[in-house]
Amino acid sequence: MPPALDLANLPDADVVALAQRGREAAYRELIKRYERPVFSLVFRMVRNRELAEDLTQDTFIKVLQHIDRYRPEFKFSSWLFKIANNVAIDHLRRRQLDTVSMDGSPHAVTGDAVDATSFDVSVHEESALDQLQAKELGAAIETAIGQLRPEYRACILLRHVEDKSYEEIAATLDLPLGTVKTYIHRARHELRGLLEHLKQ
Amino acid sequence: MNHRHLLPEEFDLLLDDEVGFGVAPLREHARECAQCRAQLEDARLVVTALEELPRFAPSFTLANKVMSQVPVFVPWHVAAVETVTRLLPHSRPGRLAVAGLLATAGATLTGGALWLVSRGDLVTLAADVVGNHLRGAVVQAVQGGMVTLFGPAVMDTLQQGGLFGIGAVAAGFLAAATASAFGLRAIASAARRRG
Repeated sequence: MPPALDLANLPDADVVALAQRGREAAYRELIKRYERPVFSLVFRMVRNRELAEDLTQDTFIKVLQHIDRYRPEFKFSSWLFKIANNVAIDHLRRRQLDTVSMDGSPHAVTGDAVDATSFDVSVHEESALDQLQAKELGAAIETAIGQLRPEYRACILLRHVEDKSYEEIAATLDLPLGTVKTYIHRARHELRGLLEHLKQ
Repeated sequence: MNHRHLLPEEFDLLLDDEVGFGVAPLREHARECAQCRAQLEDARLVVTALEELPRFAPSFTLANKVMSQVPVFVPWHVAAVETVTRLLPHSRPGRLAVAGLLATAGATLTGGALWLVSRGDLVTLAADVVGNHLRGAVVQAVQGGMVTLFGPAVMDTLQQGGLFGIGAVAAGFLAAATASAFGLRAIASAARRRG
């Protein structure tokens, strides 16, 4: 049995190299590092928790089954998010689910289904009024994101939630840099318009 | 103050906290122009709200579900190194003893090989003797089998036919064996299709 390693402190490239050498612990470390960001991205793309779980699972299965194809000159996270985005976009194209209500998917017919497809954003603030306002803004922005085109949504989430640079987003989504900048600009503009009612 | 208001892409530069050449005048304009400042603040509110969005957690069983469908592949060279490492003793004296044994075995084999090479004629003679004995034993066994199966008359016919006769018999045997193999394969395929 190979000696135990402290995988948590290794950079992604080293963990991937260990996974390529057949270390199961390295596979699990990669899942542990990226399950939340990938799930968050996919969840915000498809707006259904159960579906997002399945698609996240598919993403990791695809990535880990082909871990031998990973090239270290590219960032592992970019490769992973590319596959996650493709999986989500493919699903959206098949189902043509571009927008969603904050109160649940229009396709939800039971109470459980409505709960699974509605958003509940909790924010910790000092006062009840602040909490209410923050929750209202959080809920509003989640709704607004759901109304963006999938391409804009992916770009804006990678930029501001995952803190990716424009170049990384372009590499992840296989888009020209100029297109990424355009998409993010348009997404910001649309979000401002959708949130205009909060100012009033 | 610059009377031109900021362009949309200039707002983006400020929202992205760019520090390149030409950004400072834009920042200065945003400070002085109330309209641009208000627009920038609105845009920044949206960006801040995005950056504060929480990350959602999947179910705690995700990793197990993924790993149940991902075969962990160990490359052969990694498996070989790990097997050897597992067999080696852990202590330093033990490893030194193994190294000594391997060196001794290697030296013995090398010496033996060199001796054999230097005695080439002896090796050839030994090979001839062994080969002749083996050939005689095989021929005797085949003749005995043929006589048992087909009787002494067949052996006499073969010996009279010489190499041509033996060749014909061998070709007939090969043809029969090939036909049997194809026949069996056809039967198996037919059985599979029916099943």
